Amino acid sequence: MALQQITITVNDLVEVVDVPHNMTLLQMLREKLSLTGTKNGCTAGECGACTVLMNGEPVNSCMVLAAECDGAKITTVEGLARDGKLSKVQEAIIKTGGVQCGFCTPGMLISATALLDRNPHPTEQEIRQAIVGNLCRCTGYVRIVEAIKEAAKA
Amino acid sequence: MINPHPGLPELQYFRPGTLAEASKFLAEHEDTSRPFSGGTDCFVRLRDGILKLDYLVDVKGLKETHEFSFDAKKGLTIGAAITMNRIASNNDVVNHYPVLAEAAGSVASYQLRNRATVIGNICNASPAGDTIGACIVYDGVLNVHGISGFRQIPLNSFFLAPGKTVLKPGDVVVSISLPIPPDHSFGVYKKLGRNTIGDLSIVGVTVLGYPQKDSASGYGFRIALASVAPVPFEAHKAEAILAKSKISDEVIAEAAKSAMDEINPIDDVRGSARYRKYMVRNLTREAITEVWSSISK
Amino acid sequence: MANVKSKEQSSSPIGANLPRNDVYEKVTGIATFTDDIQFGGKLLYARVKRSPYPHALIKKVDVSKARAFPGVKAVIVGTDFPNKIGLYLKDKNILAIDRVRFIGEPVAAVAAVSNEIAMKALDLIDVEYEQLEPIFDPEYGASEKAPLIHPKLGEYSWPNFIFPKPGTNIANHFKIQKGDVEAAWPKCAHIVEKTFRIPHIQHVPIETHVAVALQDEKGKITLWASSQSPFAQRALIAESLGISPTDIRVIAPFVGGGFGSKAGVTMEAIPVALATKCKGYPVKLLLTREEEFYTNFVRQGLVIHVKVGCDKDGKLLALKNLMYWDGGGSTEYGVNVTRAGGYSSSGPYDIPNVRTDSICVYTNHPIGGAYRGFGMSELHTGLDQAMDELAEAVGIDKPTFLKMNGVKEGETLDTGMKMHANGLTQCIDNVAKAIHWDEPKTPSSPNKLRGRGIAIAWKAPAMPPNAGSSAWVELAEDGHVTVGVGGQEIGQGTFTVMAQMAAAALGVPYEHVRIAGPVDTQYSPYEWQTVASRLTWSMGNAIRAAALDARKQILDIVAEAWHEKPEDLDIVNGVVVSYKSENETSLKNIAIYGMPKENDQGWIGGPIIGRGTFMPTYVTGLDPETGQGTRSVVHYTVGCEGLDIEIDKDTGKITVLNAAASFDVGHAINPTLVKAQIEGGFVQGLSSAMFEEIKLKQGVMTNPSFVDYRIATAPDVDFPLETPYVEVPQDDGPWGARGIGEHPMVPTIAALGNAIYDATKIRLPGPPYSAEKIYLALLDKGIVE
Repeated sequence: MALQQITITVNDLVEVVDVPHNMTLLQMLREKLSLTGTKNGCTAGECGACTVLMNGEPVNSCMVLAAECDGAKITTVEGLARDGKLSKVQEAIIKTGGVQCGFCTPGMLISATALLDRNPHPTEQEIRQAIVGNLCRCTGYVRIVEAIKEAAKA
Repeated sequence: MINPHPGLPELQYFRPGTLAEASKFLAEHEDTSRPFSGGTDCFVRLRDGILKLDYLVDVKGLKETHEFSFDAKKGLTIGAAITMNRIASNNDVVNHYPVLAEAAGSVASYQLRNRATVIGNICNASPAGDTIGACIVYDGVLNVHGISGFRQIPLNSFFLAPGKTVLKPGDVVVSISLPIPPDHSFGVYKKLGRNTIGDLSIVGVTVLGYPQKDSASGYGFRIALASVAPVPFEAHKAEAILAKSKISDEVIAEAAKSAMDEINPIDDVRGSARYRKYMVRNLTREAITEVWSSISK
Repeated sequence: MANVKSKEQSSSPIGANLPRNDVYEKVTGIATFTDDIQFGGKLLYARVKRSPYPHALIKKVDVSKARAFPGVKAVIVGTDFPNKIGLYLKDKNILAIDRVRFIGEPVAAVAAVSNEIAMKALDLIDVEYEQLEPIFDPEYGASEKAPLIHPKLGEYSWPNFIFPKPGTNIANHFKIQKGDVEAAWPKCAHIVEKTFRIPHIQHVPIETHVAVALQDEKGKITLWASSQSPFAQRALIAESLGISPTDIRVIAPFVGGGFGSKAGVTMEAIPVALATKCKGYPVKLLLTREEEFYTNFVRQGLVIHVKVGCDKDGKLLALKNLMYWDGGGSTEYGVNVTRAGGYSSSGPYDIPNVRTDSICVYTNHPIGGAYRGFGMSELHTGLDQAMDELAEAVGIDKPTFLKMNGVKEGETLDTGMKMHANGLTQCIDNVAKAIHWDEPKTPSSPNKLRGRGIAIAWKAPAMPPNAGSSAWVELAEDGHVTVGVGGQEIGQGTFTVMAQMAAAALGVPYEHVRIAGPVDTQYSPYEWQTVASRLTWSMGNAIRAAALDARKQILDIVAEAWHEKPEDLDIVNGVVVSYKSENETSLKNIAIYGMPKENDQGWIGGPIIGRGTFMPTYVTGLDPETGQGTRSVVHYTVGCEGLDIEIDKDTGKITVLNAAASFDVGHAINPTLVKAQIEGGFVQGLSSAMFEEIKLKQGVMTNPSFVDYRIATAPDVDFPLETPYVEVPQDDGPWGARGIGEHPMVPTIAALGNAIYDATKIRLPGPPYSAEKIYLALLDKGIVE
């Protein structure tokens, strides 16, 4: 299968990657760049475990072709902490106990980060709506929502 | 039994720079290529093996698909690359085409709405498409580029069957144009899913209402229904009831019942025909009532 | 000088809301799950050829074209691995050999250099089938008319507490006969008899099953798996392959959700089998979400016929339970669900006369395995709704009825065991109070109906009578502690709670304790499985024993060095202190090298490693006809849940206004983690009550993806959920603790069903209680038009 060369910025690092045409952004992150923090939960754009920021907006990376991403700027969960300092949302979710198995957590953090960037003081309903595309099976969402509220206050 | 691919099957990605290039390529690879923007429908079908392609043609490289403009006389033009989130939050859409903003905002999740497009929703031609009803009631017209150049296709003659449209090999739907809606119009989109939000529709009811001097009731209504027929459905008999008599709760109920009687939904994995009929009746009644109370002020 | 009061001043880790010790990795994305491990360029990708028919003979399997396809390194078929595999009743093969018994059953498998090549190779495998009459209903399957799905049932092996009936499709028939129900019915003032059908559901862990296997040239196998059961997987796979368990090493990283789906052995055997055909190549099988839904483990469906009767005051007199479990094509694990459903079939009620027949039936449906609750959710869905109607027939307030009949300390259970002290009454009071049971139920608008429902539940850890735990505690030079465990962190917080317990028993700060993970059967101490809500109690006991063992070694050394008595010494915050002489020394001074004798006369002690084990040895067998025995289970966790809801008359949609879940946890080692389990379990239970169902049509799952298998999302659970827990100590639990992992999912369906009944007087025959079912029921009953 033919390869496409793309230049893509991931967590502020410029990468030049040769990707098979059928490779998704999720596969590229995990397999070509070894950034395994972003997870594969369904490969159908339903569960949100693969959520990353693409040019500042959250997308399901399993539903994006890597070949489409030439020139794109991607942020994954590995890029949320800065110089070893956890982001507000990361600290909040630790504090409220919103992490259990941790598999939905990276996608959840990205969606939450994007929400607070566009809406710094969301209502509870807005928070829940913003993460409707991030499925969690362990927590019942209770402490995740609390964490986002907490991070909004910080 | 389905056995989807763990990722996408082998295929080639092609990003044409001009419409001519795009149409030529699509026509030359008639059954093995398809245009895409967000990919949220076709990637899933490719994995499932329902869709078998050698080429995916990305329309986001075509400048015409990025058009997103409003003109007080000509109306709204939405390009094929414009995402649902942008449509739902755009001031011109919210102010002049509120039903479309509401419908676009009701699709799936925030992440998917950053990829999904109204044109994609239309071309996918699922009767469940959330934004199709709004485009129908706003009299949307598709701007299509094919091997013979540009042409326009009104939305109400676009759909043939689930997943099937009048598009020909080589066609790229470039944008949709929505004329200025009638003065003082108002509309709502009522969507019933299994979850609170974010689901595909079991039924979807789009109602647009507006003062209309030459109608007996003084008002005109457009009612489009999703997930109740093989193609997006406009309930003309119900609309006629609302045009011919002075509007009251009884007339609204009669129109809602007519919508229920006009459709022949099926039983499927999401809901039964019986439930769909009653939900169309109840949600149409609710939608008309809401629209009426706004436009009759 | 030591501050001898420092023991009182420093707060104990027990009962403290300490932050999880795995959370930094999880929020930064560096936590390693099985699919994250990098295996390098030799990694092969496995894909599975599956049966398209629910029941068929395999006439021919031709893999020659697949084997020849470039990039394919191995292709296996059932006959390559003839031995059976299974946890309780060994009725399964790694790949089907002569017969397929459910759609999706593995028939062949391919390992290739890429998934694309593996998928193409699958298309080149030709399988010839001869279809057989399928069975889709467990009652029909149990009848004499039904064809046999396992004609050779009599040749399989099973433990002495499972009772299959060879010559039938009955894989297990568990019976309870306590007292005499037939003599009791005439004495009942009120009797309720109902049938409920509970559909299959799936666990939906957000991480699907994944396993990577590698066999080296000497034949030793390494298996990396997202697993709740590394030791059981080692044992079962080794047995099936005819090799020694210690020739398989199972490494189990973090698990992205299990809920029982990753217990026992399912798909893990397939990459191991492939690896034996391409030595030196790691082979990875990652299930797609679709495969996860129907090809691996599901929760079996249940048809439950329940008949319950009470006297005029509402005191229960008799219960008859006839349960047909839709076990699927293999019941190697599910037979024990039947058993557990049987011996706990009275629910947490005191009933003098009980007759239960709990029957596990082979059907041509997906395989029923372990699912959070292990039969209890399904049982209580039927039992607690029948009880709800009985209370109504008597005319007493439901919380009163439940408290009156809730099982109390010393009462005889349906198996003859005596119930221990428990806080069920307090749980019921907590829930009734939290959802304002006695206040008026005013609908918020004319098109809403309002109702409240309450249900109680119990569950015991369902295990063989010899399920053991072991642990070690090791000190390093800096006085910090490493704890060896065999139990898995699947999200419930095991690693954190075990560290808290080790810290408390040893006397060191929680922050100084590290769990030796990932669990690796080569180095980790044995643990039966991470299931049954047993780790806090069982592994906790082992860890406490190991820590106390280490503590004793340390104090013996220091006592000898200081010429004091160990009883006068203590370890506080990592410092050994004497209450007598006020001497003190940090653990780091003695942890590895011991303590010097005076005058350079040698040394005392050496490296410190504590060890501990725990295995309950008091569970007895039960009579095969009556189910009676001295001690059927180790203990029960009891609890209660309630909901206050509104139903929309135009759509049938339910809005939960308020909910509560209260359980007796014995002692909350980490209250936040306890509440987190209750919240998560309640929502999973509510999701199963409102949305979830494997929609089977002729054996086909028609909704094998998130598009049409709906689970609760954040906007669906926007209501206050109170989780007041109760602490009546467990006599043999560490600091009195018992398990809570599964229980919050158990009564939820019944509680919602009871609330719907309260609002509408409609009793639906089974979950999910979808808006459609409710609306059409309202329509048929004339409540709406």
